[in-house]
Parts: sequence; structure tokens; C-alpha cells
Amino acid sequence: MSNEVKSDLKYTDSHEWIKINGNNAKVGITDHAQSELTDIVFVELPEIGKEIKKGDEICIVESVKSVTEIYAPISGKIINVNKKLEETPEIINESPYDDGWLIEIEISNKSEISDLLAPDSYKKII
Amino acid sequence: MLYRIIDKYFFEILNYINYIHAWGKIMEKRSPIFNLQKTLGARFTEFAGFEMPIQYSSIKEEHLAVRRSVGIFDVSHMSNVWITGPGAEKLISLTTLEDASKIGNNKSQYTAILRKDGTVIDDTIFMHLDDKYMMIPNAGADEVVTKWLNDKAKEHKIAASAENVSNDYVILAIQGPKSRDTLQKLTKTDIKTIGFFGCQYANLAGVDCIISHTGYTGELGYELQITPPKKAEGVFKKILEAGKDYGIKPIGLGARDTLRLEKGFILAGNEFKGGRTPLEAVMSYFINWDHEFIGKDKLLKQKEKGDYERLTSMICIDKGVPRQNCEIKKDGKKIGVVTSGTMSPCLNTGIAMGYVHPDYREKESIVEIMIRDKAVKAKVVRPPIVPKEWANQN
Repeated sequence: MSNEVKSDLKYTDSHEWIKINGNNAKVGITDHAQSELTDIVFVELPEIGKEIKKGDEICIVESVKSVTEIYAPISGKIINVNKKLEETPEIINESPYDDGWLIEIEISNKSEISDLLAPDSYKKII
Repeated sequence: MLYRIIDKYFFEILNYINYIHAWGKIMEKRSPIFNLQKTLGARFTEFAGFEMPIQYSSIKEEHLAVRRSVGIFDVSHMSNVWITGPGAEKLISLTTLEDASKIGNNKSQYTAILRKDGTVIDDTIFMHLDDKYMMIPNAGADEVVTKWLNDKAKEHKIAASAENVSNDYVILAIQGPKSRDTLQKLTKTDIKTIGFFGCQYANLAGVDCIISHTGYTGELGYELQITPPKKAEGVFKKILEAGKDYGIKPIGLGARDTLRLEKGFILAGNEFKGGRTPLEAVMSYFINWDHEFIGKDKLLKQKEKGDYERLTSMICIDKGVPRQNCEIKKDGKKIGVVTSGTMSPCLNTGIAMGYVHPDYREKESIVEIMIRDKAVKAKVVRPPIVPKEWANQN
């Protein structure tokens, strides 16, 4: 079982990671999450341009035996989705923090960033 | 008033006893080789009251190992019932779709046990072993089936009895094109001589067991009934060793489910849920109409009427993974419900089985499976969804 936690990311207790770059943020699922789900076979992505609130369901990630909802770690507008996942969802297993990212958000409420978990806090819950 | 109080306490006490009983069962119902499975990296799940491996490495890898080479499954959650006595054959014929007199010694048969209304209590295999029969009901169906058989023997004055010996046996399934070569290394019995659905006593890996040419994967495969349970761990290890050159893998229930679904095999808990008849489950091939059995009159009536829903296999054309309870539609109108669905590891597309109205299940016809409000197009096919030749072609 792999459990890598990257030091330059923020996390949620529902196992999403978030990489903040100015006003934008990339979101994916953690190494721990992909390792728990195993063999990811299908990803349902949201539409670009959609406004989302923190905690909204933004994606569905399916393994052979499970269906998992992914929640928005932060409010904003979806400005990009990882189209590669439609053909090759398994890249989430292979590269959860890089090639396997899910969506990119334009952050609407920066104060929510302080609610996210630091790497050390996330390590404690996995 | 006093009566009501007693009544109330009676039920509380009864519930408490049931609770202890259930808890005791849960504690027991780990496979006798649980610890070995743990060291092999198994992740466990609860299935019909059993804590069983859902997967070891990955469902996909395990699935493909069985299609291409060989895998070993612990299926000791399945039940074992001995049916004995001079009327054993008669009892089986009365309570199943099969005329047991047609099943010779060392042969086994897939069949189903019906209620009086024609719906399936359980689907099962029975093995004819000299003067007795071993039945393999599904996980958790052992008590219901045993009681049903004994009740029917009594009602019909048949000199036979059923004994639930599920806790005395471990069942291992060795499945895949290399299963025969793997097992042959461990026994003097010429496994080639055991025909499809043949069964016999044998000594394998130094342990006396029952070996049958049966399985739930659609591949060449065998199943072993091992008693006492403590002998199973050694057999499991020796099979892993014997299959090493073929890349044998231990397989969990996750891949067991995807393997059977690709072949269109029924999973009792899914496909019989809510009460389905063998005609609806498209088991006509297994109905022997030339003998009397419980539920037959209802089946004949249903057959004559002909307008019943039938279990139907589908392959998704659009992307998406159908799951149990997804609605099946045609031009926006509901025509059925998915009972089992998954992503096929061989085809890399969604596949499903479900009950569909007879007007809409013509081969190649296009239906829509509703996955989270999205209509995913699917094509009706006849099982097996994944053909036998798949491994040679891919």
C-alpha cells in the first residue's frame, strides 16, 4: 500500500489534494486514496465553467468495485479538466499527484485555504 | 396485559439470543486460511456474513491471470450439504430442476431449488458420489436449504436427510487455462480423465479431497472440497508453489465477480433478489421437464403466458460503468433494471446483466442504461459477453 504525502500540497480529510498557484488551484486525489480504490476504471468530470462551492460533488471516480464522489476542497469556477482521464483513467493510479490531476479551479474565496490540511496533519489521518 | 409484557420480553430475549448467535457466527465465519490470505496481502470484505478476500494485488491483474493462466480462489463461504439415505436421489429430483436419476456416479449438475411459487430459493451444484450426494448451496444459504430439504423429505415421506457440513469443508477453486497442469503436479489421479462437471474422490497435495471439473469463471477449472478445514492451508500453499511457473495468483471475490459477469453467470444474491423464476433467469437449459418437481406447475404456466422479463446481457457502447439498480430504458421508457454491472477487465467497457421485458431484448438491439441521470447506450448481447477465444486473441 502506498501512502506518499507531498510537502508542497494541501489536503482534505476526504483525501483530495490541492495545489495552489496564485488564484488558481489544481485538485486531485491522494496517493492513499488511489491505493485504497485500486484499479481506477472510469472518471466522470464536470463541465468547464461550472461554479462550485466548497464541499460540492465535482467528480466521480470509479474502480472495478466502487463508486467514489470527489468533493470540491474550495469554492470557485472550474477552468480546466484533465481530459486524458476519459481515455486513460488508470493514470490516477500511476501518477496521482501529477498526470492524474482531476480539475483546475479559479479560487473565489481565498479565506477557505486556511481550512485545508497541511501535509503533516493529513499524514496523521491516513 | 401480563401476556403482552411476557410477549414483549419474549421477543427481546429472542432477539438477544439471535444477536449472540449471529455474533458467534460472524466470529466463526472467517475462512480457516484467513491468516495465510492476510500474509499474501489480501484486503477483506464482508460477503454474506463471511470475511473474505476482495482482492490481493488488483482486481484487473487477478482477473487477467485467470483468463490467461491460472488463479486460486478460497470459496469456503460457499456451503456444503450432504444428502444421504436410500431416497436421496428422489429428494433431489423433487426439490430441483434436475432429474437426479439422470446424473450418474461421479457426475455433478448445476441446478436450482424452487419455492412452490416457482421462484428460486438458491442455485446450486450437486455431486453424485457413490451412494450419497454433496450439494453446494450459496454462501449463507446452507441453513435454509438444509431445512427445506429435510422438510420436503418429511412431507413427501422420502427416506433421505440433509446435513449441513459447511463448517467442515474448505472449498478451493483453481481456474484458468493452466489449472489442470498446476493440479496435475500434485496428484496421481489423471486429471484429464475427469470430464466437464465430473467429480470424484482424490488425493491431492497429500490430502484426501473431492475434486470436480467445475467453476464460476468460464475457463478450464477445478474445485476442491477439503476436510477437515485445517488441511486447507497446506494445500493452498502447495498449489501456489505448483503454479509458480505459470504465474499463479491468489484471487479475491472482486475478480470472481467480474469473471463470472463476463460469462453471464448468475450471482444468486443479485440475480434472484426479490424472487425470480428459472425461466426469467434464462436457465431453461437446466430445466428437466420430464420429471415432477416443486414449482413445476408455476413454471409451466409462466412459460405458456410467455410475457415475463428475462435476464439479459449488455455491453456498453458509450463510456460508463453500469451498477446494480440502474434503470434500463428504450427511447426513454423504462424496460428493466440492472442486477449486476461492472467494468469488464477484458473488454475495458462497461457490461451489465438485468431483467428486461421480452419485447426489447433482441440481440444487437440498442438500449440505454441510466447511470447517474445520464443515458449510456448499450447493446444487447447473448452470453458469454466475453467469448472463450478471448485469451488467445488478446
